[in-house]
Amino acid sequence: MTVIATRGLTHLYSKGTPFQVAAIKDINIEIEHGELVGIIGHTGSGKSTLIQQLNGILKPEKGTVLLEGQDIWASKASIRQARFKVGLCFQYPEYQLFEETVYKDIAFGPRNMKLDEEEINRRVHKATEFVGLKEEHLSKSPFDLSGGEKRRAAIAGVMAMEPMVLIMDEPTAGLDPHGRDLILNLIKEYREDTGNTVMLVSHSMEDVAQLASTVLVLENAQVAMSGTVEEVYSRGEELSKMGLSVPQVTRIFAGLRERGLDVDTNIFTLEQGRQELLRFLGKGVPV
Amino acid sequence: MIKDITIGQFFPGTSFLHRLDARMKIVLTFAIIVIIFLCKSFFSLGLMVVFTVALILVSRVPLKTILKSLKPIIFIVVFTALLNIFYTTGDANSWTYEFWIFKITEKGVFTALFMAVRIICLVIISSLLTYTTTPTGLTDALERLLSPLKVFKIEAHTIAMMMTLALRFIPTLIEEIDRIMNAQKARGANWESGSLVNRAKALIPVLIPLFVSSFRRAYELAFAMECRCYTGGKGRTRMKQMKFGVRDFAALVLTGTLLAGIISLNIFFPKVI
Ligand SMILES: Nc1ncnc2c1ncn2[C@@H]1O[C@H](COP(=O)(O)OP(=O)(O)OP(=O)(O)O)[C@@H](O)[C@H]1O
Ligand SMILES: [Mg+2]
Repeated sequence: MTVIATRGLTHLYSKGTPFQVAAIKDINIEIEHGELVGIIGHTGSGKSTLIQQLNGILKPEKGTVLLEGQDIWASKASIRQARFKVGLCFQYPEYQLFEETVYKDIAFGPRNMKLDEEEINRRVHKATEFVGLKEEHLSKSPFDLSGGEKRRAAIAGVMAMEPMVLIMDEPTAGLDPHGRDLILNLIKEYREDTGNTVMLVSHSMEDVAQLASTVLVLENAQVAMSGTVEEVYSRGEELSKMGLSVPQVTRIFAGLRERGLDVDTNIFTLEQGRQELLRFLGKGVPV
Repeated sequence: MIKDITIGQFFPGTSFLHRLDARMKIVLTFAIIVIIFLCKSFFSLGLMVVFTVALILVSRVPLKTILKSLKPIIFIVVFTALLNIFYTTGDANSWTYEFWIFKITEKGVFTALFMAVRIICLVIISSLLTYTTTPTGLTDALERLLSPLKVFKIEAHTIAMMMTLALRFIPTLIEEIDRIMNAQKARGANWESGSLVNRAKALIPVLIPLFVSSFRRAYELAFAMECRCYTGGKGRTRMKQMKFGVRDFAALVLTGTLLAGIISLNIFFPKVI
C-alpha cells in the first residue's frame, strides 16, 4: 500500500526575486507502508525541502502530495491532518523545546491534536520510555538536560503524536558515536514495534545501509536513483560522482576483489562484512 | 516568506560614491538634506533635481532599485500633495478651479508639486547613502563621527559595536524564527486561526526557543570575542584605515558649490514660478 506519493512536486525559494532557486523539481516518489526509506544526497540537493513538503510545512509551487491517495492541500482540515499523520522531526530538534517541563513539552503535539488527558498521559509515557528517558526526567526543565537527552526528548515529542509516517532530518547530526548509535537503534526499534513508515535523511551512507530498506538519492533537486540498498549502493561510481561515497567497508571489499580474492562485493554494513569474512576465511585462503 | 525582508540595502559597486569616505558621505548627506530645505524657488529646486539625477547616474545604482526605495513613501507624498492642493489659498491674480466643495488654486498646485519633489529628492539622497555604503562602513563612520562625545562619557565605540553586531545577527535571527516556527507547526502549533488571545499564546512556543538560542549565541559570541582578546575600544586599531583623499575634498567642494548655487538662485530668481 502506498502511504505517500508525490506527483510532479516542485518548490521554489525566494520566488520572483533574482535569488529564486528551484530546490526540488518535478519529484515523483511513492513510499510504501512500513518501509524505512533512507534519503541521501549532497548538501543542497533538496532533501530538507522535499520532506517539508510531505507534511505541508512548505506549499508546493507545482504538483501534489498524496497522503493515502488524498491531496494534502485539498482543505484546511486535510492539511492539519497531514501535520499529525506525518511527523516531522527537524535537524537539531532540541532547539524547539520550550515548555517548563519535559512532560509538558512532549505533550505539546498530542495536546494540539485535542486528545484527552488520559490518552496524552499514555502517549507521553510511552514515547519517553521509547527514547530511553527516565521517569524522573519528565518533571525536569528541558533546558537542564544534556545535549543528547534534549535531542531524545524532542524526538519523543514527535513520536508522541504517533504519526503514520515518521520523518527525521539528520537525527544524528552533531552527536558522538554512542549518541548516534542510541538514536539509530531507537529508530529501528520504533519501526519494528509500530510497523510504521519511517523516512530518514542522512549524510551517512553507513547509517542508511544499516537501517534502510529502500534508498532515495537526490541530486540537483531531482531524484537521481531509487531502489533497495543493494541496487543503489552497487552503483558506486555514479554515487561518487555526486559527491557521495559508498561505506568504507564496501570499498574494502571492492579492493579485496580487485586484488584477486573471491569475496562478495555487496557488503554495506560491518555486520555483513564480518559474516562475509568469516565465510571466506572458513573456505581457506587461495593459493 | 519572512526571510525575504531585506535589511540594509547596500548595492555593491565601485563608483565615485561607493569609494567616498563614509564619514564624508554621512556629513555631506546631512548637508544636502539641509540644502534641499533651502530651495525657495523653482529654479533652485530645479538645480537640486539636476544634482540628484546626476548623483544617481554617478552611483550606477539601477533606477529600478532607486524607485523601490520610493515605494514606501508614495503614500506620504500623495497625501501631502493633496493637502497642499486643497488647503492653499490662492492669490488674486491667478486662476482657480472650483467644483462641489473643493477649490483648487494655481498656487496650491505649485506648492503641492514643490513639496512632492522636495520629499522625493530627500528620500533619494538619503537612500543613496545606504545604497553606496556597507552597513559596517556606516557604523564605523558613525563611531568616528560620534567619538568627540567621549567628553560626555558616551562610548561611541560600544554603540557602534552593538549596531554592527545587531546588523550582523538580524538575518541569523530571521532564519532561526523560520526554523522554529516550522518545527512547532510540525507539532500542530497553529497561529493562523483562533481568537487573538489564542494566537498570541501560540507564539510562546516560538518566542521561548528564540530567546534561549539568542542568549546562547550572545554568550558564545562574547566568549569568542574574549578569546580573541577583545577588551573594548581602547587601543584598538583597524584593519581598514579611513583616510580622506582628493576624492573626498572634491565632493566637499562640489557640495559647497551646490549650496552657493542654490542660495544665489534664491536671491536672483526669487519667484516661485
Ligand atoms: N529558506 C530558504 N531560502 C532560500 N533558499 C533556500 C532556503 N532553504 C534552502 N534553500 C536552497 O534550496 C536548496 C535545497 O536546500 P535543502 O535545505 O533542501 O538542501 P538539503 O539537501 O537539505 O541540504 P543539507 O544536506 O545541507 O541539509 C539549496 O540550494 C538551498 O540553498
Ligand atoms: Mg537539510
